[in-house]
Amino acid sequence: MRWNNGAPLLAQLLATGLLAVTAGVLLFSQTPSEQPPANLPVAAPQAQTAPPTYLVMIDPAHGGSDAGAALNPAMPEKDVTLAFARRLRMELNSRQIQAGLVRDGDNTLSVDQRAGMVNSTQPALYISLHAASQGNGLVLYTAMLSAVGEDRGRFLDWQTAQSGSLVRSRWAEQQITASIQKMGFPLRSLVAALRPLNNLTVPAIAVEVAPTSGEVSQLASVDYQSMVCAALASAIVPIAPALRQRTAP
Amino acid sequence: MIPRQWILATAILLALATGMAIYVWQLRRHEAATPAPVAAEPHVSPPAPGPTENVTVWVAYDASGTLRDQTISVPMSSGRQQRAEELMRGLLGIYTTKTSPHPLQPGAEVRNVYLVDPGIAVIDLNSAFVDGQTSGVLAEELTVASLIQSLSSNVPGITKVKILVDGKERETLSGHADLSGFYDVFQVSDLAKQLTSQ
Repeated sequence: MRWNNGAPLLAQLLATGLLAVTAGVLLFSQTPSEQPPANLPVAAPQAQTAPPTYLVMIDPAHGGSDAGAALNPAMPEKDVTLAFARRLRMELNSRQIQAGLVRDGDNTLSVDQRAGMVNSTQPALYISLHAASQGNGLVLYTAMLSAVGEDRGRFLDWQTAQSGSLVRSRWAEQQITASIQKMGFPLRSLVAALRPLNNLTVPAIAVEVAPTSGEVSQLASVDYQSMVCAALASAIVPIAPALRQRTAP
Repeated sequence: MIPRQWILATAILLALATGMAIYVWQLRRHEAATPAPVAAEPHVSPPAPGPTENVTVWVAYDASGTLRDQTISVPMSSGRQQRAEELMRGLLGIYTTKTSPHPLQPGAEVRNVYLVDPGIAVIDLNSAFVDGQTSGVLAEELTVASLIQSLSSNVPGITKVKILVDGKERETLSGHADLSGFYDVFQVSDLAKQLTSQ
């Protein structure tokens, strides 16, 4: 069949229109919230020799359409975590520790996307930041998983990818906890079923910041943010060499 | 002049597209016409009069961020399933009082507890339960640990627990605690010890 004369133009238009209608019908019939497969295996991290680009990757939890907890009507958790994350990056950078942010704006990121970003950049330490109206000071979390050896073959189970790094995660958590407790700041250490901790192939902790005064507004205070972030950064400094060389236990 | 084959092909495609559009429209109309599920009655049946027994449940305290054991009286049950339901009802009785240390909003219920051998328990919460849950890592963890530790320490043989909401899987309890997988009872027991001791 050849396109000839003036008529094919009409036929082309008709065929294009029909294809568009068909595509539209197919798109219209799709469900809007298809999730990426969550149980796919993740490639095991290769043996690390070069130092990481970022020593610490900071993840302000929530963001975009996921506001997180409503700490008060004017203070969504996503804004507080971002403010803390930016300040923590500044405090770490001022101590010659390279730190990056998983999000540096009001972006919507799924936990799978966050895990993918962190696993691909392979920082020496991942810190997920949360904020809460209840509680007193800081709570540090590691993944609620059983630790296993690091050598588990080429591919890791997505839901338990953290298992191989759990010993190093808990070591980092203990060191940071000990340092901050010496400063007299209220702090606890727990395990938590909190994604994306389970999906990460690097040492990973989560930090939930609560006010010490009982007033939620303290979370928005620059002084409080500076004090918390300086304490965290100071606690990371002594373990930075071990993290940088990946010689932590 | 448009070739005859093109006219035929165009007509067939047009008919197909129209048919598909009508089919999708019918599906959507049918879906919209399907009545929403009626607000569920409490699935866990009311307590029957009769002998009672004392059991220990683990109660969350928001103010201190801890779990504390507490002895409550529940109707004596002959089977594991009934015992599990009585336990959950007793625990929620604490959380829905005015002086609750870990308040849940009125209407919060455990719709059902399913014991599936070997060793799996499924706790089905209603949406009022999660709507009234304080959002936060620790606040949600206290709820999960309280439910699972209370259940597993009183109903022997449970090794894994799955939490559903209105009979469906859910990603998180209220934005934090992961509900997508099964909770290992031994790991939750370790967590409960941490939460009790601090």
